[in-house]
Amino acid sequence: MNIVVCVKYVPDATADRQFESDNTVDRVGVDGLLSELDEYAVEQALQLREKREGEDIEITALCVGPEKAVDAIRKALQMGADKGVHVVDDAIAGSDSVATSLVLAKAREKIGAEKKVDLVMTGMASTDASMSVIPAMLAERLELPQVTFASVVESQGEVFRVRRDGDTATEIVEGRLPMVLSVTDQTGEARYPSFKGIMAAKKKPLETWALSDIGVEADQVGLSASWTAVEGTEARPPRTQGEIVTDEDGSGATALVDFLASKKFI
Amino acid sequence: MSQFSETEERTELRKAVRAFAQSWGQDYFTGKARAGEKTTDLWLALGKNGYLGVNIPEEYGGGGGGIGDVAAVCEELAAVGCPMLLMVVSPAICGSVISRFGTEEQKQRWLPGIADGTQTMAFAITEPDAGSNSHRITTTARRDGTDWILKGRKVYISGVDEASHVLVVARTEDHKTGSLKPCLFVVPTDAPGFEYQPIPMELVSPEQQFTVFIDDVRLPADALVGDEDAGLIQLFAGLNPERIMAASFATGIARLALEKATAYAKERSVFRDTPIGAHQAIAHPLAQAHIEIEMARLMTQKAAALQDAGDDMGAGEAANMAKYASAEAACNAVDRAVQTLGGNGVTQEYGVAALLVATRVMRIAPVSREMILNFVAMHSLGLPKSY
Repeated sequence: MNIVVCVKYVPDATADRQFESDNTVDRVGVDGLLSELDEYAVEQALQLREKREGEDIEITALCVGPEKAVDAIRKALQMGADKGVHVVDDAIAGSDSVATSLVLAKAREKIGAEKKVDLVMTGMASTDASMSVIPAMLAERLELPQVTFASVVESQGEVFRVRRDGDTATEIVEGRLPMVLSVTDQTGEARYPSFKGIMAAKKKPLETWALSDIGVEADQVGLSASWTAVEGTEARPPRTQGEIVTDEDGSGATALVDFLASKKFI
Repeated sequence: MSQFSETEERTELRKAVRAFAQSWGQDYFTGKARAGEKTTDLWLALGKNGYLGVNIPEEYGGGGGGIGDVAAVCEELAAVGCPMLLMVVSPAICGSVISRFGTEEQKQRWLPGIADGTQTMAFAITEPDAGSNSHRITTTARRDGTDWILKGRKVYISGVDEASHVLVVARTEDHKTGSLKPCLFVVPTDAPGFEYQPIPMELVSPEQQFTVFIDDVRLPADALVGDEDAGLIQLFAGLNPERIMAASFATGIARLALEKATAYAKERSVFRDTPIGAHQAIAHPLAQAHIEIEMARLMTQKAAALQDAGDDMGAGEAANMAKYASAEAACNAVDRAVQTLGGNGVTQEYGVAALLVATRVMRIAPVSREMILNFVAMHSLGLPKSY
């Protein structure tokens, strides 16, 4: 089985994240890493291989992003993926999800031209844009069925059965390869790279492709070709000090109730 | 020297271990310690991820890295509040000695368990009447047919209760008063005649210290690791890693203390809205602590690089200096962290006070500050011996 896991390089959520002057995410000034939500996809791909012992399962980590984004691929390789593909091209900067899905789909086609791809896996969303639309867009572009937001993944042969937890109901959804599968953070903690994994990652094949390698024109992607754009951003307002009710004459309880009522809590 | 930074893999290893250890955290560690419980689950998880045995050769289940790698693991664990004392002992001392001097059978028998954490090996060298003077070690081994009979007493031995075996430094019977001729024996902790008692310590640590009584413990011939006549070289194979690991353990704790202190100094303000970190009386001591820690880390990395390059003697000097510098840096960093936090620095909640004793120990063990100064005075400066 040939699995492609899409991995995104995102700004570290614990760092001070910023925007560029054109309202795109600053991906240079902040330390980045493999999106935590995509780690779950890598983990599920690795578990799949471990569960289906004896099958020839190859896992490719695919990333679209600036030069530094190779760190996301390296992390996936350290965790256990077999090879990496990095699509990097200045023209891609500022691409929205529609444009990004085009690049991912074309890269997936090129990978598939060499060896048929059975399964494309992604996380449930990115931790920066949080759109959750890439899996659906990829499925549409690749003309594949999509099984999304899986919290439990089981498979037998070509049939994948997943649990999909909604707010009010839990669905069991079945799909047949080839398909696109996105997994949630409920699928189980992602592993940490072992020392051997770190040492081995350096020797694993890693290809770097430009847009021209996958047959995408520069004017099909990037900020100018994107269907959506961020109009403006605003920092979260600083936390304001709460209202302190001082009870000197026994009126404290009333004041508290008045406050809660004014905020419509009661 | 062409490179002052660690390799990319070492940096990645630090990152991975740090992330891994953060998922356990200081609360887990001190919680276990205060409850009188062990951190065995963390230990096994470390083994499973291959972090515990990074320095053990690959063919025996390890990572095939060096002492610098396992020291990096040790430091990062300590830096997020999970200092693993037995890493100093099991993979670093015992693992190094057996990797280098064990027979093929001994390597196959001991190393995989040390690497994955399923078999922990303690290390016993200090004795009640010998202290820092390892020339006065009186634990002796005598031949009985092909067996060995081991007799003696050891003190301040870490984690005997968690260990399946102890690597015991003894000497052969013929040389009771002569120069040191250490021999190393692997002794099962459940061997008849092998007993141990905990020493109550003022340390917040899941690892306990023990007095060990070895009363005519019978050992098979292959309990002897390495050559009976190889002497000091074999011991150094374990003691340099011990010092490098102790240094990393100390700088890790020091980093934790400094991180807590700086975070506090940025938030805490009592005079108008100025955080106390803006006051030089707070800022400068923390800056000094940072400099001392970084210098100690650099010396530790140098010692590890020399050790991994096979330069035992060069590594010996550097490892001693690194251990000295790290202990001083750690004691200062924790002291300054406590001062920065004021009363909060002594509460359990802020997790700094427990580091006071933990770092103070580093000036004493595994070799005292004074013995390092003696070593440097004599060997580095050529000054006459005073003792």
